[in-house]
Amino acid sequence: MQQTATIDPISAAQGEFERMMARNIKGLNYFTSPAPVVGATPREVLIERGPMRLNHYRPMTDEVYRVPILLVMATTNRGFIFDMVPGQSLVEFLLRAGFDVFMLEWEAPRSHERSLTLESYVLDFLPAAVARVREETGEPDVSMVGYCFGGVLSLLYAALHPAQGLANLVTFTTPIDFSRMDLFSAWSDPRFFDVDRLVDTFGNVPGDMLYASFDMLRPAARTAANMRLYDNLWDDEYVKSFRMFERWNTDTLPLAGEYFRQTTKKLMWDNSLYKGTMTVGGRAIDLGGITVPFLHLAAEHDHIVPREASAPLLGMIGSPDKQEIMLKGGHVSLVAGGNAIKRMWPALANWLAERSI
Amino acid sequence: MTSNPSDPAAFFRDMLGHWEKAVNNFGGDALKSEEFVRGMSAATAATANMQANTHQVMERVLAAANLPSRADFDDLARRVAGIEATLARIEAKLGSGGPDPAKPRPSRSRKPPSKAS
Repeated sequence: MQQTATIDPISAAQGEFERMMARNIKGLNYFTSPAPVVGATPREVLIERGPMRLNHYRPMTDEVYRVPILLVMATTNRGFIFDMVPGQSLVEFLLRAGFDVFMLEWEAPRSHERSLTLESYVLDFLPAAVARVREETGEPDVSMVGYCFGGVLSLLYAALHPAQGLANLVTFTTPIDFSRMDLFSAWSDPRFFDVDRLVDTFGNVPGDMLYASFDMLRPAARTAANMRLYDNLWDDEYVKSFRMFERWNTDTLPLAGEYFRQTTKKLMWDNSLYKGTMTVGGRAIDLGGITVPFLHLAAEHDHIVPREASAPLLGMIGSPDKQEIMLKGGHVSLVAGGNAIKRMWPALANWLAERSI
Repeated sequence: MTSNPSDPAAFFRDMLGHWEKAVNNFGGDALKSEEFVRGMSAATAATANMQANTHQVMERVLAAANLPSRADFDDLARRVAGIEATLARIEAKLGSGGPDPAKPRPSRSRKPPSKAS
């Protein structure tokens, strides 16, 4: 249908002038007011050990599904992406949908924790979290939900602990073929990138360095985002959302040195998870041995884990009950923000509900 | 053209979107070129060298001033972590007491809408 609206240049200019005034006034507020409080859903910290934090969120319904959910955050970022503010929190959404929710998130490893390895995460932190969830709920099994590299850790855990209390496995935007992560693959080219020197010198890999790498994936994004922020300064909701995501983006965590060295060599250089040659603690990883119900949620416009990097995952999982859902959005907007609320959260809750009784 | 004709700034918003896409595409190609990667790796190596040199100098300065170094603090932190781990093992042997009985315990019998009748 053809648009027939008449343009009134005077009122349009007046509207733009009003917005400009609002931008100036609210721009001042932006610099003088604190950022929104994030991660405020009531919770109890069950384990606080090294970089590991296991949270249990207070149930919001009188009756919950039998199987609890354990969210596993990526090791590079804070867990509050799952729990932004009331109304924009995946944790709150799952609680209201009747789930018992736990989250395994990470703090920055301290200097002496540079020796933490992939084994520390897969054979110590994750099993300890699962055991604590089982103890807390009295249930024999849990649904594990991993985001990005948290998904990789969840896959490794599931492959190595096939009979230890996993009811369902869900991964979001999880890479499997690391050779298809073009930019990261180029930047970690073993001909030029000396990971040993980096780790031996710095100990832990600085968060700033990782943040710069993520930022360089889309070189114009920061400038464009700031220009859009200025354009939308009059809009309180836009500004609030911008500040939440900006805070999460810039709060990139350092990585334990040995863990970084291992993941670079095993995953980026050897692509061993995809090739089926991956080992953790000397034990071979066979994703075909994962037989619990499996769901992978991928984003159409993921600039961090491109589609090609996660596409082979579903075929490698051994479960007869497996599914992949491709949703609109990017790496972050898949799990938080307006699109996630409409698309991903209900899809996740529905899939889990059927398998959590 | 997707500009809203009633919004004078819409044209610039569209242009911003096009500019961002073009720069990201061009930048993505440039940033994965061998020349860039070689330069980036050289810069990282230079930063690492600088850090290592600074570290050595600071170690000497702290030793001369008879002050504990970063390594000394790391050793202490490791020993504290060891004590924490021992405590955790003792606590585990004593038994955590299980879940707190005072906490609210919702019943775990919920059914999905499709199965609830």
